Amino acid sequence: MTLEARSLSAGYAGRAVVHGIDLALEAGEIVALVGANGAGKSTLAKSISGLLPALSGRILLDGKPIERASPAERVRLGIAHVPEGRQVFSGLSIAENLRLGAWVHRRALSEMEMERRIARVCEAFPVLVERLQHPGGTLSGGQQQMLAIARGLMAEPRYLILDEPSLGLSPILVVEIFRMIEALRGRGIAILLSEQNARMSLAIADRAYVIETGRVTIEGAGRELLRRREVIERYLGVGKGVGASDDARSARLTEGLRRIFSSRRIS
Amino acid sequence: MEQAVQTVIGGLLQGTVFGVVALGFALVFRVTGAINLSQGAFCIVGALAMYSFQVSLGWPGWAAAAAAVGVTAAAGAVIGATTFVPALSRLPVSSMLILTAGLLTTLEGLSLVVWGSQPYALPPFSGEAPVSVLGVRLPTQGFWIVGAAAAIIAGVWFLLMRTALGRALRACAENPTAARLMGIDVPRMTLFAFTLAALIAGIGGIAVAPILSFQFDTGRLFTIAGFSAVAIGGLGSLVGSVAGGELLGVAEQLAAGYISSLFANGIALALLILTLLVRPSGLLTAKRTRREDVRDEHRIYHPVVRLRGRRAVVFGLGAVAALAVLPWIVPPGLMNSVVITGILFISVLGLDVLMGYCGQVSLGQAGFMAVGGYTAAILATNHGWPPLAGIAAGLVLSLACAVALSLVTMRLRGHYLALATLAFGLLVESLAVGMTETTGGPSGLVGVPSFSVGPFDFGTPLAMYYLVAAVIVVLVLVLLGGLRSGFGRALQAVRTDQTAAAALGINVPRYKMAAFAASAAAASLSGSLYAFHLNFLSPDMVGLARSLEMIAMLVVGGEGTLVGSLFGVALLTLLPTIFQPLALYKTFAEGLLLVLAVRYLPGGIFGVFAQRVLNPSARPARSAA
Repeated sequence: MTLEARSLSAGYAGRAVVHGIDLALEAGEIVALVGANGAGKSTLAKSISGLLPALSGRILLDGKPIERASPAERVRLGIAHVPEGRQVFSGLSIAENLRLGAWVHRRALSEMEMERRIARVCEAFPVLVERLQHPGGTLSGGQQQMLAIARGLMAEPRYLILDEPSLGLSPILVVEIFRMIEALRGRGIAILLSEQNARMSLAIADRAYVIETGRVTIEGAGRELLRRREVIERYLGVGKGVGASDDARSARLTEGLRRIFSSRRIS
Repeated sequence: MEQAVQTVIGGLLQGTVFGVVALGFALVFRVTGAINLSQGAFCIVGALAMYSFQVSLGWPGWAAAAAAVGVTAAAGAVIGATTFVPALSRLPVSSMLILTAGLLTTLEGLSLVVWGSQPYALPPFSGEAPVSVLGVRLPTQGFWIVGAAAAIIAGVWFLLMRTALGRALRACAENPTAARLMGIDVPRMTLFAFTLAALIAGIGGIAVAPILSFQFDTGRLFTIAGFSAVAIGGLGSLVGSVAGGELLGVAEQLAAGYISSLFANGIALALLILTLLVRPSGLLTAKRTRREDVRDEHRIYHPVVRLRGRRAVVFGLGAVAALAVLPWIVPPGLMNSVVITGILFISVLGLDVLMGYCGQVSLGQAGFMAVGGYTAAILATNHGWPPLAGIAAGLVLSLACAVALSLVTMRLRGHYLALATLAFGLLVESLAVGMTETTGGPSGLVGVPSFSVGPFDFGTPLAMYYLVAAVIVVLVLVLLGGLRSGFGRALQAVRTDQTAAAALGINVPRYKMAAFAASAAAASLSGSLYAFHLNFLSPDMVGLARSLEMIAMLVVGGEGTLVGSLFGVALLTLLPTIFQPLALYKTFAEGLLLVLAVRYLPGGIFGVFAQRVLNPSARPARSAA
């Protein structure tokens, strides 16, 4: 149960934005992609889900190459992508959005199974259940993000790519979304989490890759990266020449966040 | 009273057909964001195929109808799969409009080749005798039309709102990227919508065929009516398109019954312009708006191809020398066509400023030719004005029309200018046909004097040739100068991104209006010269067909190049003259060339020429938005 990229290059109009990426994602782990705006995180996410063609290199699912497969085949194989900016179908009802999430399984699912699946996915998102018949566009930003994640889960993926799930959300909602992501890991889903909010994503990630100008520059365990000096300087918003006290403060903050997560973790 | 009821019922029947065509428009627009101008042509393909199966082959009605619908849907599927769908992901919305205009011309040309130019009529499905209901006589075919329309409307509604396939279609309409992430095959859905729209048009065409006479180019009337209906009703709204169709049908019938059938078209178009003026989004606005930002990702806008520095000077001098010696090379029999090429080129030059530089699509360029041509010709012929004064009067009138039209469409984008110019061109055409007293009506205005300034008379093709050549050289120099200045850069900024241009402080409406006025002035001048050269002017010389032809000439020659379109004009004007036996294939070739150029040759012939021969080092940089 592995999703792997091997020296993968991808980009727009034949010009590569990410170059020679090596990456692995195992069942039941959260892998964070950390990097500045424009580093290539979204491009990488899009090429794994098939929105962008791979220019060179391979994408392997359990050892089988899938880089030529259409997005539809990849969804069928168990890879779901929740895109940046949520992209819910705002004119369609929430129920319709969810049904479209299971589009590739539409022939295999009876109406009853479909409804059961909607109910199951919505367990974690009670706010959606109350408004199933409302258009997606009437939801708030945070609710739309939940709808986007729920829609991705409707395909019952083994691998979930989350692109900037905390974008534009209030701090409280961000915490809630991150809790949800941890809960998904508990269900055995492998999560590729692309985030600008590096501190929080590193705090919950099992492993992480730092991407700079389209290349992986650092990789390692999430918490280990949180302590790496170059990561702190570049991505955790603490400038060069940090004193010991600042380091200690950032460690305390991280520890505090971790405690919030572990105390509220849903299983 | 009884007559009024009869008229209204006739209008409702006609409106039902318009509504069905409009429904096809709405369906394709909802799913793809593009307007498919070839929609009406599928009606006629259906009707003509029905004629072949039922009358020529003698098949029973039901079998013929089924086969004809099948042929239409198959034609739709093939055309959609080879042109519309692959182009959709690469071309901006304005180019899609041009592409579908090309498809319309191609289908008409193909029908001309297969079925000839004679009019056809079909027998009614259930006999000629009308049924009398409460003293009102109803043609039996009316029940077939209403029944077919009701079935189509109910079917489309059920499909879109109640099935998984419909859900996927609506998802593609709203956000194609997210739809792909769901595993929906967006190109297949698009093709499905396009084919379904063709099928709907085919059924509509077959149902209405028995109550009208139709020929290869009747399709454009359906396209116009359907397009108008959908604009009046609300772009993308299914209910609105049917309502708009009914409104249009009744208005046309009332106008035909109580004013004059020659003005029926005019009334409908006035209604359309009024709608654009008062309520541009239509009577019923589609609730679900698509995300334009998502749709326009990855579209490639080709930069304007141009020559630089000394190359340009050398090329320019060479071109002027070639123009000067051309009359000695061309056989005398072709001289007339060469002059016409030059005259049309003047109009296409104007179109290039508007379309190539400013990125606005005009489907009514010939309307301004008509305004200029008829004004100058009527003043010179019936009122004894000197030709030059006639030309000036035509220019003033055209500019007034252009300013008025751009005031209407200034706030609107994309499709609306195309729509307004289409309506304008058709309005002028129907006035030219309808005002028989002044314009000579459908058969044209005869006895137009040749062009003359004081004692100098330009009665011979040679004299006219040098006059036109001089006008072209002056115009090209003026436009080249103007477009290389800040003015030209502002126009190109508007073309690439109106919002960004506005954010830069460019007064977008003013530049659009300036480009529009320039293009109208060039067309007006060209129309006047056309009338003086041929000593004759008729509505179909400056009608919709001409507008579409000029778009083809521009795109085939090379948009945004000024001189490039000359290649397109010459190709499409001279070839049919040289190869007379091929005249039958002219329309087809014109449409096909346009489609191919839009699809594969974004820089046109001149783009290739300039890139390969003149500027081998300068590769146009591709910019993905």
